[in-house]
Amino acid sequence: MPKTLTKKRMIINIIISLVVLLIVINICTVTGTRSISLSNVLKGPGLEPGDNIDYEIFSVRISRVLLGVFVGAALACSGAVLQAILKNPLADPYILGISSGAGLGAVIAMLLPGISLSFLGGLPIAAFAFTGAIITVSLVWSIGYFTGRSQVTSLLLAGVVINAFFSAVIMLMTLIVKTEQLRSTMYWLMGNIPEKQESFLLLSCGTFVILGIIILWRISNNLNIITLGEYESKGLGIDTEKTKIVAFSFAAFITAIAVSLSGLIGFVGLIVPHAIRLIFGPDHRQLIPLSAIYGGIFLVISDTIARTAFGQEQLPVGVITAVIGGPFFLILLARYTRKVSLMK
Amino acid sequence: MNIIEVENLGFDYGQKTILQKVCININKGTFLGIIGPNGAGKTTLLNLLCGLLKPKTGSIQIDSKSIESYHVKELARKIAVVRQEFVPVFDFSVTEIVSMARTPYLGSFAFPTESDRQIIVESLELTDTAQFADRLLGSLSGGERQRVFIARALAQNTPILLLDEPTSFLDMKHQVGIYDLLKNAQFRQYKTIIAVTHDINLAAQYCDEILLLFPDQNYKFGSPKEVLVQEQISKVFGVEVMKGEISEKIFFIPKGNYIKNNK
Repeated sequence: MPKTLTKKRMIINIIISLVVLLIVINICTVTGTRSISLSNVLKGPGLEPGDNIDYEIFSVRISRVLLGVFVGAALACSGAVLQAILKNPLADPYILGISSGAGLGAVIAMLLPGISLSFLGGLPIAAFAFTGAIITVSLVWSIGYFTGRSQVTSLLLAGVVINAFFSAVIMLMTLIVKTEQLRSTMYWLMGNIPEKQESFLLLSCGTFVILGIIILWRISNNLNIITLGEYESKGLGIDTEKTKIVAFSFAAFITAIAVSLSGLIGFVGLIVPHAIRLIFGPDHRQLIPLSAIYGGIFLVISDTIARTAFGQEQLPVGVITAVIGGPFFLILLARYTRKVSLMK
Repeated sequence: MNIIEVENLGFDYGQKTILQKVCININKGTFLGIIGPNGAGKTTLLNLLCGLLKPKTGSIQIDSKSIESYHVKELARKIAVVRQEFVPVFDFSVTEIVSMARTPYLGSFAFPTESDRQIIVESLELTDTAQFADRLLGSLSGGERQRVFIARALAQNTPILLLDEPTSFLDMKHQVGIYDLLKNAQFRQYKTIIAVTHDINLAAQYCDEILLLFPDQNYKFGSPKEVLVQEQISKVFGVEVMKGEISEKIFFIPKGNYIKNNK
């Protein structure tokens, strides 16, 4: 039997990747502008605030690192799924208007009096962004669904047009905001993982993202076949409509969660699935979990660089993902494409 | 025994009527060729037979059960479809593509069991594609790719096999190769094979029965001898044809305006 993905190989790859993720989480949590000692952390919080600074720094960092993992996992996984159902390797989680919808929601929130990035741990902005994302995506889906038979093309077109329109509105709105709000709006639009979240928010978002990824993983074999086209997948016994709706709505849902927590972090959703495909092959049964895991790893590393590279000054993580993601991906592309062409 | 019963079948795309009152019964183990000019409804009929389109009037029964009452997965265990070959968007290997055929028999992750693997390997060998099992589909030639899609259809292990112009872009050797392969599957696995084709001569050579679709929604159904009559072919296709016969097999050559008439 020639090589294909077996259950055993898939499970081994997933376990190895999870171990790598744990190691990266550990390293990134102890890395920072102020070094902390793990033995101090293990002593616990102490009786009063300020008793154990190391513990406090640790708890801030670990929540930021975990949020990075969830956001990265959601973006990369949703990128892989959208590339499959749109049959378009250039698709990313933002292609169907999620980004501009969330952006518009967030900018509207920031224009409201009394709401800033740090107000209530960013909860109002997150809520606005989430609502904006879900409304836009439903709008794009309905336009795509009701116009014409070739749904993929009309979906993509609807997404592009709505993205362009909302981006113009966002620009217009940033022109009228006050200067101190402008900076935080720009920060949000460039993608930024916030320092502090309510732990209940972190926990519930993490749960939803993981559940979403598991559901997408369960339809991954259908996604393999859907990339061959609608006729082919029906001929192989796939309920194409149902698979598409499940894939689309859960990808949109986890992306909306990610965007509402961290703004528009680019590159992760496009590049991570491609990198995994180049290394491990195109089988979605493995691509989806591995994209999620390495998406988390990639974003946490990028965010660690974003908060440490320039001392106290923090960069938006979206800048780092583009700066290190781009060249890294080009290297992968050059290496593995050559391997494939030699195999021919 | 009839494996497919088509009764009073009609279909239209809005204003344009494509098929009208088609009644045909197809015996188990038959090799049927569907021929006709462009736009006569060959592919539409094929799409109706595989359940992709719903009949506007009339009915189609597969194994004495209405095609519309089949669940999509259940139907995929009855009918496999081969369309014109293409390069998939993502780089799947030959084995990966052929393995997808086992999906209708497996759970949601669809990892093949030992017996599935056996069927996959057999189909690869039967179609002579085992030699490039590990190669990417995009790196093969058109003819090789078409054989891979036929291997996938065989691995689907269905009693009925539908093909839409399986040889249209292939050279002569590969055309014959594909039809030999299909004939082999018909005899060895007792499959019912229905192929839409533009190639009347290959249809005449290989098919047990021919369905000739007219541009005016008429049709003729029967053995190649009955259907492939010179005047009829000329009329339906709107071109003068010359007829020949070699060891009881008929063939036609279309006659162009610039051919010299030696009287």
